[in-house]
Amino acid sequence: MLEIEGLSRRFGAKAAVDRVSLRIPAGQMVGVIGRSGAGKSTLLRLVNRLAEPSEGQIRFEGRDVTALRGRALRDWRTECAMIFQQFNLVQRLDVLTNVLIGRLNHRHGFLARLGSLLCQFSPEERAMALAALDRFDLLPTALQRSDTLSGGQQQRVAICRALMQQPRLILADEPIASLDPRNARTVMDALAQVNRDGITVLVNLHHLDTAREYCGRVVAMQQGRVVFDGAPSELSPARITQIYGITEAEFQAEAALAVKASPAFDMPRQTALA
Amino acid sequence: MIPAEIDAWRARMPRAFGPSPRGKALRMLGGVAFLAWLIGTLWMFEVTPQRIWNGLNGLMVIVRLMIPPSPGELWLDILRGIGESLAMAFLGTCIAAVIALPLGFLGARNVVTNTLFRFSLRRFFDGMRGVDSLIWALAYVRAVGLGPLAGVLAIATADIAVLAKLFAEATENAEKKQAEGIAASGGSSLMVMRFGLLPQVAPVMLGHVLYFFESNTRSATILGVVGAGGIGLQIAERIRVRYWDEVAFIIILMVITVAAIDWISGRVRRRLIGAR
Repeated sequence: MLEIEGLSRRFGAKAAVDRVSLRIPAGQMVGVIGRSGAGKSTLLRLVNRLAEPSEGQIRFEGRDVTALRGRALRDWRTECAMIFQQFNLVQRLDVLTNVLIGRLNHRHGFLARLGSLLCQFSPEERAMALAALDRFDLLPTALQRSDTLSGGQQQRVAICRALMQQPRLILADEPIASLDPRNARTVMDALAQVNRDGITVLVNLHHLDTAREYCGRVVAMQQGRVVFDGAPSELSPARITQIYGITEAEFQAEAALAVKASPAFDMPRQTALA
Repeated sequence: MIPAEIDAWRARMPRAFGPSPRGKALRMLGGVAFLAWLIGTLWMFEVTPQRIWNGLNGLMVIVRLMIPPSPGELWLDILRGIGESLAMAFLGTCIAAVIALPLGFLGARNVVTNTLFRFSLRRFFDGMRGVDSLIWALAYVRAVGLGPLAGVLAIATADIAVLAKLFAEATENAEKKQAEGIAASGGSSLMVMRFGLLPQVAPVMLGHVLYFFESNTRSATILGVVGAGGIGLQIAERIRVRYWDEVAFIIILMVITVAAIDWISGRVRRRLIGAR
C-alpha cells in the first residue's frame, strides 16, 4: 500500500504538485493523466525522491519514505523502479550490462562493489538478466550496444532493468510518448504483464484510450491537484470536458504536441571543446 | 534460480557470461604485452625506486630553498617579463586564429568538395602539427633574432595548423539545412559560409581560441628559455644561479596570471556562447 498524504512541491510561488492525497493498494495499475504541466511527472519523481517534497508525506507499507536518507533512500529507489520517457539507458553499454545495472544496489559489501566497478556480475545475475530479456523477446539483442535498438526495444530493456531491481512498485513516466503506436502497444503490454505478477504500476499517460484500456484506475490531475480518481469507465468524454474544459480529441492533440516539444525529445548535439 | 537453469542459460548464450576463449587469450596477450612494454621502458631508462627517492630528496631541497618566495631586487623586470609573455600569447593566438579561419573552411568537407585539395591541405595541417612551438622558436630566433617577435611567430605558426584542423571539424559538424537556406535565397558560396556556417561555428571557434590563449600563456613562459622573449629567460637565469626563492615568486605570479585568464575566458565564453 502506497499512501500519499497532502503532498506538495512548490517551485517559487507555483505549485507543481498541490496537496495530493492518494492511497494505492498493492497490485493496482494506476494511470495518471493530465495536460502538460499538470504535475504528473513531478508526482512520480516525488515518490522515488528524485524530487524533494515541499510538504506532505509518502508512506509505503507504513514506512515513511519522505524521511529516508543515504543507503535507506537508495534501497527505496531500488524498490520502486522508474521507467522514463527517453528510456535513460546508457547508450554505449551493451543491453545486458544495462539490464544488470538493475542489480547494482543488491550487491553489498566492499568486494561486491569493487566487482561492480569492474563489471563483474555473478552467473546467476547474468542468467536472471537473460531470462528477463527473453521474456520480452530481446534475447538476440543482449550483446548489442543499446543505441542500436529501436525505441520500443530500448523501453523494454528499461523494463527489464527495472525488473532486475525486484521492485514492489514501478513508476512509469510517459513510457510510450516517444514511441510509434505499434511499439507503444508492446511496451504497455509488457507493463500490464509485469503488473499481473503483482507489482504495483503507476503510469503517466497522455493518451486517454491507453489509460482506459490498460489501467484499472485512473487519476486525473489539473494544475497540481487530483481532480478525478476512479474507474476508467467513469471517465467519459463528457466528464473530460467537464474537468478540463476541452474535448477529449483536443486534450490528446495538445498532450501529443507538448510531449514532442519537450526539451528531452530532441536534444541538440553539443560540439565538444578540445 | 537453480544452478541447472544457470547452466542452461550459459549453454544458450555463452558470450553473456564472459568472453570467448579466443577473446580471453587475446585479452591476456594484450595485458602481457602492455606490462612487458611498461617494464621494458622502465628498465631501459634505469628507473629504480632508489633513483626516484634520491630525486625526491633533491626536489625537497629545492622546495625548502623556495620558501619563502621573494621578488628579489628586479621585481619590475619580472612584471615586465610576465606582461611580455602574456602579450606574446595574445598576439600569437590572434594571428593564428585569423589565418586559421579561412584555412579551416577550406579544410572542411562540406565547404570544399575537391577531395584531393582538401586531403592534401589536411595532411599539410597534420605535418605542421608535428612540429612543436619550441622547435619553431629555435628556428625563428635564428631567423629574426632574439626577442618576443620570435616567440609570437613560433606560437602563431604552431597553432595555425591545430586551430585550422579544429575549425574544419567544427565546420563539418555544422547543420547543412541552415546553409541550404542561404543558398536557396540566392547567396553565393562565400555568403553561405558567412551567414550559413559562421554563425553556427563561431561559438565553437571562440571557445577553442580562448582555450588556446590560456594554454599559450603557459607555453610562452617556456619559449623565453630559448631566447624568444618573455619571462622564461628570467626563470632560466635564476635557476642557473640557484635563486630558488625568486623562481618560486615568478611561478606564483604565473599561476595567478593563468588562473585569471582562465576565469576571464570562462566568463567571456559563457557570455557569448552560453546564451543559446
